Amino acid sequence: MQQQWSDIVLDAIRDVGHRILFVTPRILAALTLIFLGWVIAALVRRITVRVLTAANLDVRCARWGLTGVLGRPGHRPALTELLGRLVYWAIFLVSLLMAVEALEMPGTQGAVGVLLAFLPHVIIAVLVVVGGWMLAQFLAQAVLIAAVNAQVAGATLLATAVRWLVLIVAAAVALTELGVAREMVLLVFGIAFGGAVLALSLAFGLGARELARQALESYVKRTREDSGEPVSHV
Amino acid sequence: MAEGLTLETALPPDGIAAVEALGPVEALVVVTALNQARTAPAAVGAAAAGLARVFAGRKAAVLFVDGGSQDGTVEAVRDHAVTGAPVPVASARISGRPGRGRAVVAGLAAARHVGARGAGLVEAGLSSFTDDWVEPLLGPVLAGEADYVSPIYTRALTEGTLTTNLLAPLARSLFGKRLQEVLGGCGAVSPTLLDSLAPAEDWGDEPTGQGAETRLLGQALAGDYAILEVHLGRKQVDPGAAPADLAQTLVDSVGPLLRLMERDPATWQDVRGSRDVPRRDRGVAGGAAAGDVRPDRMVRAFHLGLKDLLPLWEQALSDETLTQLYPLGLLGADDFRFPPALWARVVADFAVAHHERRLPRDHLLRSLTPLYLGRVAAFVLETQAALSRGAAEVLERVCLAFEAEKPALSARWR
Repeated sequence: MQQQWSDIVLDAIRDVGHRILFVTPRILAALTLIFLGWVIAALVRRITVRVLTAANLDVRCARWGLTGVLGRPGHRPALTELLGRLVYWAIFLVSLLMAVEALEMPGTQGAVGVLLAFLPHVIIAVLVVVGGWMLAQFLAQAVLIAAVNAQVAGATLLATAVRWLVLIVAAAVALTELGVAREMVLLVFGIAFGGAVLALSLAFGLGARELARQALESYVKRTREDSGEPVSHV
Repeated sequence: MAEGLTLETALPPDGIAAVEALGPVEALVVVTALNQARTAPAAVGAAAAGLARVFAGRKAAVLFVDGGSQDGTVEAVRDHAVTGAPVPVASARISGRPGRGRAVVAGLAAARHVGARGAGLVEAGLSSFTDDWVEPLLGPVLAGEADYVSPIYTRALTEGTLTTNLLAPLARSLFGKRLQEVLGGCGAVSPTLLDSLAPAEDWGDEPTGQGAETRLLGQALAGDYAILEVHLGRKQVDPGAAPADLAQTLVDSVGPLLRLMERDPATWQDVRGSRDVPRRDRGVAGGAAAGDVRPDRMVRAFHLGLKDLLPLWEQALSDETLTQLYPLGLLGADDFRFPPALWARVVADFAVAHHERRLPRDHLLRSLTPLYLGRVAAFVLETQAALSRGAAEVLERVCLAFEAEKPALSARWR
C-alpha cells in the first residue's frame, strides 16, 4: 500500500512536471511574441507618423477642409496621430493572436490565419465608417448653413437628420462588408428607410397638407419680397 | 519679353492668333464675360465707341475674352459688336474649365503681349458701362499719371453694403490706402503693373472674376504704384442668367481678399493707419435715393444664425467676441445695434479662422451670412438716424474700427 501511495504521488508530480515542461515554452513564446509585437507596433507607429508628417498630411487635409469635421479646435486629434494609433493597434492585435496560437490552446489552431484572412474586410469596414463619419459631419454642416441662410425653421433638426442618415448608410455598408448578417442588414435597412420615406410622404401629403401649403406660400412670398429688397451688396 | 504673365499659357492657339492679329496696340480695352449674352455686346460696343471717340489718333482696340459661356455670349458679341466696330475688335475664349477669372488673366496677358501703354478692364455684367467711361479710366494711365485706376460710383447708402462695411474697410486697414471700391467691375492698368504680374499658372486658385480682380488690386495696393480714383457715375450690374445668393456672393467676394492676406503677409502686417488716394471727380451728378430697406428681416436672419450656427461660430470667433455677440440676440429690430468695433473684430476672427482652416473655407464664409446681415441691419438703422452728412461719418467709423483692430489681427496671424 505504501508503494502504491508513493507511485501515485510520484506519478502525479511527474505528470505535473511534464505539463509544466510542455506549457512553459509556449507561455514564454507567447510572451515573446507579445513583447516583439509591442516593439514592432511602436516602431511602425513612429515610422508611420514621421512619414505622414513629412508628407504634410495634416496640412493637406486641413487645406482640403477635412480636419474641420474631425472636431472642434483643441478637441480634435491630428489625423497623423489617429492613423499612427490605428497601425499600432493593428500590429499589436496580430501579435496577440499569434501569442494565443502559440499557446496551442484547444480551438485556437489556425485562428491567426482565419483572422488575417478577415483583416482586409475589417480595414475596409473601418475606412467606410471613418469616411462615412467625416462625410456625415461635412454634409450636416453644409445643410445646416444652407438652411439657416435660407431662414428655414428647424435647420438643426434637418442637419441632424442628414448626419444620422449618412451614418446609418455607412454603418450598413460596413456591416455588409464584414458579412455580419448581410441579408438581415440589407433587409432591415431597406424596410426602415423605405418605411420612413413612405411615412413622411403620407404625413406631408395627407396629414400636413394644409401646413405644407402654408409653408410653401410663406417661402414663395418671402423669396419674392427678398428679391425686391433694395440692398445690393457689392 | 521678360518672365511674368505671358499669353502662351493664358489662351489656346486660336485665341493667341486673334490677339496677334491686332498687332501692336497703344490703348486696349479688355471686356471679360461669363454667361453675359444680355450685356456683353453693349459693353464691347461701348468700349469700341469710347476708344474711337477719345483716342482716334492712337492705335486702339477692344479684346473680348469669354470665360467659357454656355448661353451664346460669344455668338452675341460676334453678331452685334465685332462687325462694323469703329476700332478693331478681337474675340477669344479660354479653354478648359469655365471661369471669368481666367478670362481676366488672359486679357491682362494679351494687353502685355500687344505692348499696350494702357489697358482698361471691364466686366461685361457692368450694365452701366458707357463709352464716356473709357477716357476717365484709360486717360490717366496713357498720360503716365497712374499705374492703376479704380472707379468711384455714386451710391445710395443701401447699395454696396458688403463693399462699404467689409471689403473696403478691410482693404484699407490692410494696405493703408483709402479706396471706395474693391470690386468695381472696371479699371485700368499700366505696363509697369502688367509687368509685375505673376505667370498665368500662378492664378489657378482664383477661378472667379472677383478673385482675379482682387488679386490685381492687391498687387497695386501692396506695391509702390500710383493709384488714382475716378468718379464714373452710378453702378448697375446685370446679375446674369443665374444670380448668386448672398452666401455665394460672400464666398466669391470675401474669399479672394482673405486669400490675398495669405499670399504675402509681409505686405500688410506692419501697415498702420491709412492715407487718401488721389481722386478725380468729373462733376457727375451725385446722390441716389435710398430704397425702403426693412431691417427686421435682416435682424431675424441674424437671430436665427445666433441660435443655429453658434456651434460653428464658436470655432471661428474668440471668446471675447462671442461674449459681446450674445446680448445682440436679445435686441429687437427697432433697437438693434452691431457696433463697428465688434463687426471689425468678427471679420478679423473670421480672417484668422480662414487662415488656420478651422472649418472648410466654403462653410466658414457661408456661415458669415447672418452676421453680415446683422451688421447691415445695424448700419441701416445708424444711417437712418443720422442725417446725410452723418452717413459719411458712419462709414468712416466702420473704416476706423477696422484700422483699430489691425494690430491685434497682425499679432494673431501666424
